[in-house]
Amino acid sequence: MSSVLAIKDLIFGYPGQVPVLNAISFNVQRGERVGLIGPNGAGKTTLFLLISGIVSAKAGQIMISGSPVLKGRFNPAVGMVFQHTADQLICPTVCEDIAFGPQNMGLTPEEIAINVDRAAVSTGISPLLDRVPHQLSSGEQRLVALAGIIAMQPELLILDEPTADLDMRYRRRLVGMLKDMMQKSMLIASHDLEFILEVCTRVIVLDQGAIQADGEPPIVMADHHLMEEHGLELPHSLTAAWHRHRSGTECPENAVRGNVSSAAGKTNSA
Amino acid sequence: MITFNYTVIADSNLLLRWEIRHKIVGLLSLIFSISFIRELWLLPLAILLTVVIYRLSQLSFAYYWSRIRLPGLFLLVPALIMPFGYGSTVLARVGPLTLKLEGSLIVLLIAIKFLCIFALVLSLFAGTPLPKLVGAMHSMGLPSLLAEMLIFTNRFIGQLLTDLRQTQIASGLRGFKGRSLKELKPLAYIVGTLLVRSHNQSERVFQAMTLRGYGEESLIQRVDEARTADRLALVATLVPAAGLLFLQFYFSTAS
Amino acid sequence: MHIADGILPASVALGGYAAAGGLTWLSLNRIKSKYKNPRAMIPQASLLTAAFFAASLIHIPVPPTSVHLILSGLMGIVLGWFAFPAILVGLFFQAVMFQHGGLTTMGINACLIGLSSLFAGALFHIRCYFGSGSRAINGILSFSGSFLAIALGALAAALLLIYTIPAQLDVAAERAAIITLAAAHLPIALLEGVFTALVVIFLLRVKPELLEMEER
Repeated sequence: MSSVLAIKDLIFGYPGQVPVLNAISFNVQRGERVGLIGPNGAGKTTLFLLISGIVSAKAGQIMISGSPVLKGRFNPAVGMVFQHTADQLICPTVCEDIAFGPQNMGLTPEEIAINVDRAAVSTGISPLLDRVPHQLSSGEQRLVALAGIIAMQPELLILDEPTADLDMRYRRRLVGMLKDMMQKSMLIASHDLEFILEVCTRVIVLDQGAIQADGEPPIVMADHHLMEEHGLELPHSLTAAWHRHRSGTECPENAVRGNVSSAAGKTNSA
Repeated sequence: MITFNYTVIADSNLLLRWEIRHKIVGLLSLIFSISFIRELWLLPLAILLTVVIYRLSQLSFAYYWSRIRLPGLFLLVPALIMPFGYGSTVLARVGPLTLKLEGSLIVLLIAIKFLCIFALVLSLFAGTPLPKLVGAMHSMGLPSLLAEMLIFTNRFIGQLLTDLRQTQIASGLRGFKGRSLKELKPLAYIVGTLLVRSHNQSERVFQAMTLRGYGEESLIQRVDEARTADRLALVATLVPAAGLLFLQFYFSTAS
Repeated sequence: MHIADGILPASVALGGYAAAGGLTWLSLNRIKSKYKNPRAMIPQASLLTAAFFAASLIHIPVPPTSVHLILSGLMGIVLGWFAFPAILVGLFFQAVMFQHGGLTTMGINACLIGLSSLFAGALFHIRCYFGSGSRAINGILSFSGSFLAIALGALAAALLLIYTIPAQLDVAAERAAIITLAAAHLPIALLEGVFTALVVIFLLRVKPELLEMEER
């Protein structure tokens, strides 16, 4: 499988301070949905800014589909939905906003129309196309922002706290939508651990500028000590499994997935 | 909220210990008396007074230099036009242009006054929190509506600048470069969006503030009592300010 | 259009403060007679002032360089009589908080920018007589208002500079200087006009209430 994202020995920090990211390395393969969890200030958003080319690293390398990320260079292969989606919506109508990225990519009007339509259908916001983005609910705004990014057909989709302002209905819609995008590689930072557990095929625990664990979500996130050590809590759906595991009756991953799989993900607790 | 990017120890800083109303009156008088100068030979006096005040403010020269670079650009236009446009005494010929004495002297006068006034303004305001400053200005007659607008604007300006920056980053990630006039429309959208968002937020802010009793009580801070030392310091600045004015008018009417 | 410290004679700078004081009194009076509870408008006017201030820091590309817009016309259109206090607040922030200078000339700058802003606002709001929903009408009025606001403001600033600077100058040179200074502002005025019209049409589509503050 080819790597959509390849990060090697990435270092980032501000002069005179402890590095925000300290020599981290990992790859994301095509179709992988990777959750990024960790306490506030762990460096998740900084990592996203580096991958998007908004800031440049002190050392190390970031490759998207084999080409290096250059600071300030527009790279439609990476699409990011911001935590505050209002920052992202600038056009007078939803339709124009979704078309904004494809237009800047220099696509023809026909291609733009097709991309807008596909993005609207896949996010389920076709009825909103003529509406004013600023008048939508925060859930609708998030879907519009997501559609605006999907319309650019990025190879890597980055979502920063995608469920922060969603009610249960929109959250469920988002979960379904992301799971349906089988071919997309994703990097999702969230404090909503249940969401990560549901959507992601892999999870990375980031704390103190380093990767503390990397593996399958039901395994990594069921590790009570690891989670506690890095300021995280067990997701509710894994808590019962943890207790059963501690009393020796069941493995946590079995409780969640219902089948036995050897530790496919490596858990390297630091 | 905007804060000044330097720190001083207030206790050892005479200018920061000076009661604000007295400081405003004293230093503004000095600033205006310098702006009245038209006699070149008064400039060294102005520079001397400025240096004394700036030393008292404990601000560094590096700070002064970092602040003056941008506004200094406003001086460029007169500095480039006037030495060649004004006067009759030719100093030198530079290609088709003639450098003239009178124009050059005017530029010198303007530049030195500008540099002095800038240093005094820094000394006057640096280190004083805005709510305190506004409270003092209000007690000196600034209308309440303006005072409250200053406090509110100060409260939200930092956040709106962050919002704007985030929007620009987000648009950049969608391929917007903002480097040609063709992109004026998206830029107008960005400004329009900023206005809409700030308006929406103002409604929420107003509701939240009404719930906490806004409308009953003023946001404006009360001022401190003045001490004898504050009044003495005021006299110590008013005397040289008046002296500069007197010398200026005495010699300009005499000549 | 921004006049720096030390350039104008102090008497003109003080005169500017007096005139700005008068304009402040006038606009506060109009605000008080217009709104039943003017204090209730303060959060809205202040947040918009902060937004205008932030927007005026955006680099507008004019290859090979970039400029900052004043947006005085747009302020007049959106804020109405609140534009004058908003401009005072903006200039105060520029001079004091961001330390870009201009404390002695704040009065004169407030008058130049404030009057042009009020003019653009007044011109825009005659749209009530032509049909305020039409994009063309909104576009034309907002363009003309802000174009004229900047052009006339620049002309006034040029006249002030030339007539108050103590120097012997012959009539031809004087005329040439005024024309040069004003002409240099013509592209900026055009840019302000077009930009303001684009923002106004955006607001008309997205949040028309923002254009109606003055018409309520």
